[in-house]
Amino acid sequence: MKFRRYAGDAAALFILCAALVAVFFPYMFILIASLKDAAAINRPLDWGFTPTLANWAAVVRSDIPRQAWNSLVVGALTAAISLATGAPAAYAFSRFRVGGDAARFVVLSAQMLPPAVLIVPLFLLMYNIRLLNTLWAVTAAHLTFILPFVVWFLIGFFDDIPRDLEEQAMVDGCTQWQAFYRVLLPTARPGLGAAALFAFILSWNDLFYALLLSGGDSRTLPVGVAGYWTFRGVELGQMSAAILLSITPMIVLSFLVQRYLVRGFGGGIVKG
Amino acid sequence: MRPPLLHSRSVDETMIPFKYRLLLPMAVTLAAVLIYPLLFSLWASLHDYRLTAVGDVRWVGLEHYAALATNRSFWNAMRNTVIFVAVAVGLEFALGFLLAILLHRATPFRHVFRALLLTPAFITPIAVGLIFRFLLNSQLGVIPHLLRSVGVDVDWFGPNLALFSLALIDVWQWTPFMMLLLLAGLEALPPEPFEAARVDGATGWQALRHITFPLMRPVILASLLIRMLDAFKVYEYVYAITRGGPGESTETIQYHIYRVGFLYYRAGEAAAMAYVLMAVILLFVVVLFYVVRREATS
Amino acid sequence: MKTQLRSIYKLFAPWLLVVALVLSACAPMTAPAQPPSAQPVTLTVIMEQVPDYDIVAELTKRFEAEHPDVRIRFDPMPYDAMRDKILTSFLAPQATYDVIIVDNPWMDEFAKAGFLAPLDDYIAAQEGYNLQDFVEPLRAIGEVDGQLYGVPYYNYALGLIVRQDLFDDPSNQEKFQAEYGRPLTIPTTLEEYLEVGQFFMAQGIYGAAMQPQRGYKVFEEWKNWLYAAGGNLMDAEGNVILDNEAGQKALEMYIEMYKTAAPPNSLNWGFDEALRAMAAGEAATMLSYNWMLPTLNKADGPAGDLAGAFALYEPPGGKAVLGAWHWAIPANTANKDAAWRYIGWLTSPAVDKERVILGGAPIRTSVMNDPEVWEKGFGREYYETVLRILEDAEPLARGQSAEEIINEVGTYLNSAVAGEMSVAEALSAAAAKVREILARS
Repeated sequence: MKFRRYAGDAAALFILCAALVAVFFPYMFILIASLKDAAAINRPLDWGFTPTLANWAAVVRSDIPRQAWNSLVVGALTAAISLATGAPAAYAFSRFRVGGDAARFVVLSAQMLPPAVLIVPLFLLMYNIRLLNTLWAVTAAHLTFILPFVVWFLIGFFDDIPRDLEEQAMVDGCTQWQAFYRVLLPTARPGLGAAALFAFILSWNDLFYALLLSGGDSRTLPVGVAGYWTFRGVELGQMSAAILLSITPMIVLSFLVQRYLVRGFGGGIVKG
Repeated sequence: MRPPLLHSRSVDETMIPFKYRLLLPMAVTLAAVLIYPLLFSLWASLHDYRLTAVGDVRWVGLEHYAALATNRSFWNAMRNTVIFVAVAVGLEFALGFLLAILLHRATPFRHVFRALLLTPAFITPIAVGLIFRFLLNSQLGVIPHLLRSVGVDVDWFGPNLALFSLALIDVWQWTPFMMLLLLAGLEALPPEPFEAARVDGATGWQALRHITFPLMRPVILASLLIRMLDAFKVYEYVYAITRGGPGESTETIQYHIYRVGFLYYRAGEAAAMAYVLMAVILLFVVVLFYVVRREATS
Repeated sequence: MKTQLRSIYKLFAPWLLVVALVLSACAPMTAPAQPPSAQPVTLTVIMEQVPDYDIVAELTKRFEAEHPDVRIRFDPMPYDAMRDKILTSFLAPQATYDVIIVDNPWMDEFAKAGFLAPLDDYIAAQEGYNLQDFVEPLRAIGEVDGQLYGVPYYNYALGLIVRQDLFDDPSNQEKFQAEYGRPLTIPTTLEEYLEVGQFFMAQGIYGAAMQPQRGYKVFEEWKNWLYAAGGNLMDAEGNVILDNEAGQKALEMYIEMYKTAAPPNSLNWGFDEALRAMAAGEAATMLSYNWMLPTLNKADGPAGDLAGAFALYEPPGGKAVLGAWHWAIPANTANKDAAWRYIGWLTSPAVDKERVILGGAPIRTSVMNDPEVWEKGFGREYYETVLRILEDAEPLARGQSAEEIINEVGTYLNSAVAGEMSVAEALSAAAAKVREILARS
């Protein structure tokens, strides 16, 4: 039995390492590119180059750190609003089947429209309520497609959780709200965490809305990174440095967040 | 100290039912950000609305919609997108599920693995596109050089493979995302059925097939759906690498609508395309939804 | 009752929290949209993130010193993002930009849509501006229906960039003479270009780094071939003639070159890859923007040790595809006068000369003939070649829907290069598409 367990671990580790290699191979290229000068970068197989930190220095001095901060703010805000408004809604869909299946699809349908079509009215809307070129405008645009995703994911998640928990809690005297808030939500913690993380990711990566609704100081990271793609070609060196610089804090962040994505203590702890 | 709460019964008597109040915050938020854009684009789809002539808008009724029936480029882009989504999301699901299961068991260093494996999802797709454009370039890229040294010569962005290559890039970037969603589903499964199965002497595979899959069905559905809908929006890789070529073989629907509505200024026509696209996706979603649901009940 | 209110509060709490958050934090996160018109006028200028922008930014410091009542705020953008950004800014009742730059395919469409302010009066009022000094094809791009909506910022006409060292190599010259019965010279016709390309291919270096990427890129490159074959998109009367004999010859030879002398599997190559292949010493020639020459020849530049080995010539056939950026003033800005003071200052003969000396792409005849520019810039030969290219150049595409024509024709061209369509099929389909587009607008 013990042997099987070790063998299983070894196999799992092997596959995970393989996945890690697949994920990290492009990073290696990015890292090397970030250390090359303009000439060496055009000779990707030349390993005898002299490393330079010029690209990194340029990126650190550029707007990239500020833009990364903007993205962090927009991402956090989008995730927070999506979760705060999406979780109760998902609960209503999952437990009470509000509006039947049709209502669920309505929630989803708007986000199937392409950004290229939604952008013009969104732009005019933001202009008229004086939010254009602010992070709020970007957040609002991100909510159009992220909030429906969060609702759908949480519906799936709440469907997974047996009703007995809340029913038991209510038999024990909880209100409906308490049953949701104190019993269901803790049980669904991995789902809430995952939803927060993926809402953040989708917001963090968006280029199109961010480009057209933000400006000047409110630009986000994807707009900054896309800026390395110029009329005179891609500034591969600096772009590589910017990518690495911006994902490093994300590794830390997702490490910290994921530690809390384990199953919460639900199961009728609240009695009363 | 518990926050003051109200007994649900007295609310039911006077106020909107509990279930609708749960829904309200989301409904208000979505309405605030979406009502105007939705109505506006619906209006635009029925008019000859051009971005360079917003003062001169003409009612055309369903003309834009009717014209789409014979628009070959549009349906070609639709077909490309469906293939892209099927290949990319299919692979992502298979790989993501495998990784999720491995990370769910008490594998050593699994938190580190999770954090590191998730990183591709934090790079904006346009940058991922540009990186792979050079990484996979026949003359300038590392991967083709390595492959050639073992005797494999692949034209990644040629007519036969380009769409598939773009799907592979999508797999690189978004498999970890799929893994994240599925892993969350695994974490939330109740332990009891598995303990019972172990007592009954079920093998790991049997437990997976008869307990994990059925219990995970709602989360699997949601994960597939989210990834699918997001993949339907692919345009960054196309924009960064092939611009829809060779010919129209990597023209995706988002890129097509962007070109018509933005590059060619014909926002009305693009809006009509958007609503047709919505109908097509909705069809997919509804079918997927009921297929998964029926399996669950049977 | 009290408890009911509490419960309502509780259920709305997340939403209220959000609203409160939004309202309270709104101020610090809001970028000032349009500051109240205090004394110095601040002009917001959208710019493309290229070296030419750095030069303009440098010169602008002096403008601000000389004009204390005008402040300049740049909004630098990546190229592909800029068009989307400018287009949406036109839709707002009040301008987000006071000064913009316009790429030549957008000019007619923007001007006819009423997005741009006419500049004729400003130009007439500025002493010593000398409008005729701009090379004529460049100046003409800014003119729509007899009015001027833009003045040139910089050109991106195409030229033939070659590895001069390879052409000068005696052993190459000998071999070429032996094989083709004529000396190895810079090609001036398509036939010669094809031969030279194939010759270098046989010597183990790609003959031409090409840019057959779908859409804009392949159209831009192929149109030089089309000119060289004696063809054009339309004739003088506006009839679409792109699928005539000259068009067929141009496309056949273009494909022949791609198949026999360009790097294999380069169907998605654009400007970027071609430049890198050239810089890395993998290719002998390319058709590219004329100002890539100083970049390639720069010490510590992208070409490394090869710096200095490159030279610029007119494209085969002599006539070049012209691209150009123009300064323009959006019709919806309130600061038109100040905007022109800035543009007029920047493009005046004296300041433009400084811009070119600092490395900007030239636009004025007087500047390109100026010995001081030769000496402090990239040398007499370069500026004279650029002037020759510019004088015999035609814009990529003109008229409304230029962008659409470029992209649609570029799709068929790319299909033909990929082998998905025959030359005749592709060209007649492209011509039909162009006629359809023209009929609509």
